[in-house]
Amino acid sequence: MSTIRIEHLARVEGHGGITVELDGDMIKDVRFDIFEGPRLLESLIHGKRFDEVATILSRICSICSVAHTLTSLKATENAFGIQVSPQTELLRELMFRGESIESHALHLFLLAAPDYLNYPSAIAMAADRPAPVLLGLRLKKLGNRIQETIGGRAVHPVNAVPGGFGKAPGFDDLIGLRSALIEGMGDTDAVIDLVATLPAADYCHSDTFYAALRSPNLDSYYAGDEVMVVSNGNRAIVPAADYRSLTNEKTVPHSNAKHSTFRGNPFMVGSLARLTVNPRRLTGRLAVAMKRLKFVLPADNPMDNNKAQALELINDIERALEIIERLLRDGVKDERAVPVHPRAGTGTAITEAPRGLLIHSYQYDEEGRIVAADVITPTALNAASIEQHFRRAVEQSTERDEAALGKRLQMIARAYDPCISCSVHLVRK
Amino acid sequence: MSKPTVGIFGLTGCAGDQLVILNCEDRLMDIVALLDVRDFLMASSENDAGCQLDIALVEGAVLTRHDAERLKTIRKRSKALVALGTCAVWGGVAAMDRGRDRARLLDEVYGEGHPDYDSTPAQALHEVVKVDLNITGCPIEKEEFVAAIAALLNGDAPLAAEYPVCTECRMRENNCLLTEHGELCCGPLTAAGCAARCPELRIACVGCRGPVADANSASLMAEFEQRGFDRQDIAARLRTFAPQGVAS
Repeated sequence: MSTIRIEHLARVEGHGGITVELDGDMIKDVRFDIFEGPRLLESLIHGKRFDEVATILSRICSICSVAHTLTSLKATENAFGIQVSPQTELLRELMFRGESIESHALHLFLLAAPDYLNYPSAIAMAADRPAPVLLGLRLKKLGNRIQETIGGRAVHPVNAVPGGFGKAPGFDDLIGLRSALIEGMGDTDAVIDLVATLPAADYCHSDTFYAALRSPNLDSYYAGDEVMVVSNGNRAIVPAADYRSLTNEKTVPHSNAKHSTFRGNPFMVGSLARLTVNPRRLTGRLAVAMKRLKFVLPADNPMDNNKAQALELINDIERALEIIERLLRDGVKDERAVPVHPRAGTGTAITEAPRGLLIHSYQYDEEGRIVAADVITPTALNAASIEQHFRRAVEQSTERDEAALGKRLQMIARAYDPCISCSVHLVRK
Repeated sequence: MSKPTVGIFGLTGCAGDQLVILNCEDRLMDIVALLDVRDFLMASSENDAGCQLDIALVEGAVLTRHDAERLKTIRKRSKALVALGTCAVWGGVAAMDRGRDRARLLDEVYGEGHPDYDSTPAQALHEVVKVDLNITGCPIEKEEFVAAIAALLNGDAPLAAEYPVCTECRMRENNCLLTEHGELCCGPLTAAGCAARCPELRIACVGCRGPVADANSASLMAEFEQRGFDRQDIAARLRTFAPQGVAS
């Protein structure tokens, strides 16, 4: 018996590890260990009023705090039957894009790229190769600027409230954002240049199920109430109300952990899943970039999630620019949030956080206080798929050197861009 | 002068304060050039987990026995320990209602018959070890962090605002959400340093930076009550981010 063990997975948010137990060439056990302390926020918010819920649950995760805030608001608004204004919808989509730009830039250039180029960190990489680090920092800053301008703060936004916003951005704010985004467009070629020249990372191939939000206009992280699951050309639709069919927590023989599966199959969420479910985004510049990255759908290599993030980064900047042009054309009204009249009921919302599907589901009493809350995060949904891909990587490789194999498994884990603070709902011993 | 050795650590939390450090995009390269960052798991896969540190920056709350042990080890290796963010300084959101039965809360979230989790009621760092400096905020403010690092590098004691959010709010000439709009705004009791970020956007302060040092909470509670707010509601709101902040 031998064990490959990564005690602390570095360059991710939160605390996790990897364990592979081998008996000769036989794989006995593969685990993606999560040892984040349980914060029990879903339980602690029982009795909290509807206007405190997003503020508190945003704190589940910093990198995805826009997604948690806005998904929370959408679930609360669904529970009370509130329809927000078209301007609010646009501003929320813009916040999502800002968060995605920041998150993808951070992950690709500061957390994942050092693996491919053999550095322990972006800080170390910057000494020899400053260009990718500076590019990442510029794009991160762009994403943060959007989040600050619309959400009032880059981490844990304050401006989005039930029914709308505290204050809409001013004309000058939007003009400033537009200039920053046009400048950011100038960096998109460099993104593709860099990702296209990273060494190939072929550590595992596997048929994979992909799940992502199905949006009516096919390009939204926020609008839509259905999930599409795609595999080998087969498609299935899961309405928001049936989200539990995606989170059938199942005990698997190789681990003591509960796993999310769809009809018994692990599935992947995130950038690669979004592009697989909504390939119609990949036109124009993105289609050209796709060829340069040798990126083909459906992908059978989870490392391609990094390429998908690079493509989304460009799409996010283009989409943010479109939204701002539209806001400037239509004029931004200094409108107040829609008044909220609480009522007893349940509300579920599904959105696309940077790392994939995010679900918030609440039950409220007639005074608008939380009776029950359920939060399902992308990394919790991905946990089963991450382990499946670890397993494939060990099966498909003759490499048994602990350090070398360990590095590959870490790269696979990192390709998922795991956010372990988020996935604490699936906490294990 | 040799560069100070620094470790950046996260206990249990959202990693938001470490993210704010990484969000200092324009200054990050300067900051890391002035410091010898030896241990920073969120950003690096090569860390010296045993070296002596001049400065340890620690975010998150103590929520497990493992967190407590880790924090004690960090304390032993550090000359100065800085609590970064509201969770580290006050306990943060995971510490609200921390008197509630932990076993029952675990059952509610994970279902009965769940494995035996390492889970203890949330504590601020100072409840477990000696803390030399607090930088509060949920998350910390970038400018405040950079100024604190600059002060530490110069051997000065960093300054923190010792007045409430109201002071900054009035300086920005906002209409008062409490007196003019009748909203439950925690500004009078909350430590400033955020430039009244929320009231500036017509949003009532939620107290995410924790209580201001010399707040006259008894008289303010009476003031809130006079305006028709329920005492329990006010207390619960003020304890959302800082359980020990305000007496009910």
